[in-house]
Amino acid sequence: MDSLHAIGFYVSSGISLAGGLGAALLPSRGPRAAALGITGVGLAGIYTALSAGFAAAVALLCYGGAAWLFANPRNRPLEDVQHPNWRQVGSIGAGTLLALLAYSAFRGDFSPATFYGGAFDVAAVGRLILAHDAIATEAVAVLVLVALVGATAMWRVRERGR
Amino acid sequence: MARARARPLSAGLVAVMFVAAGLVAIGAFAAVWRRDLTAALAGVPLMFAGAGVAFVGIARFAAAGGPHVFGQEFAVLLAIAAAALVALGLGIAGREGSR
Repeated sequence: MDSLHAIGFYVSSGISLAGGLGAALLPSRGPRAAALGITGVGLAGIYTALSAGFAAAVALLCYGGAAWLFANPRNRPLEDVQHPNWRQVGSIGAGTLLALLAYSAFRGDFSPATFYGGAFDVAAVGRLILAHDAIATEAVAVLVLVALVGATAMWRVRERGR
Repeated sequence: MARARARPLSAGLVAVMFVAAGLVAIGAFAAVWRRDLTAALAGVPLMFAGAGVAFVGIARFAAAGGPHVFGQEFAVLLAIAAAALVALGLGIAGREGSR
């Protein structure tokens, strides 16, 4: 990656992470939706820096659409009834998740095991998923999509039955 | 004395995975922290964005032998799924005055 693309990647990453924090923390609906749109802009920049132009265009469209949906003032607010302590436990869990993911990203070779392709690290997992077992991964993605559609259809049928 | 040449700025797989981890963690935080469930739904596209960045990064840097289009395809799928889940969640929550 040359310097220009690297600068674009880091700037877009900053925009995307700042937008994500805004979507998580801003109190009112409009700025929160705008923050989600900014996340989409940053995401499109990241994809462009990584030579994925089509994904950038689709991300811009989809996240813009999601932001537009969130900005609608007629969305019904649904107040959660869970105990406030669970929110704090969940936040600690999110922090732990960040630490775990960052550690595995930094280490790369997170497992001392080897397989026929060499050392078992992030790059090897990527080669397995996206090159060697691409068809199986596609099949799993389609299966998950069908399961989601089925769950939604079942929920609709149950709601109509009430 | 010869001046040391400045190394050009670059970004590798580790940087991409750090950004992906950050987006996933922020999404998880948004999902658990917001009291309003429709606002908590904003965490879902953030987590999907993190997964998409990881897929595209791995396809760009790690799966150099294979076609890059697989990672891009997954990122497109995740972006569409994120928008669809937001629409579904907000649709389930309903609009004010509709019931």
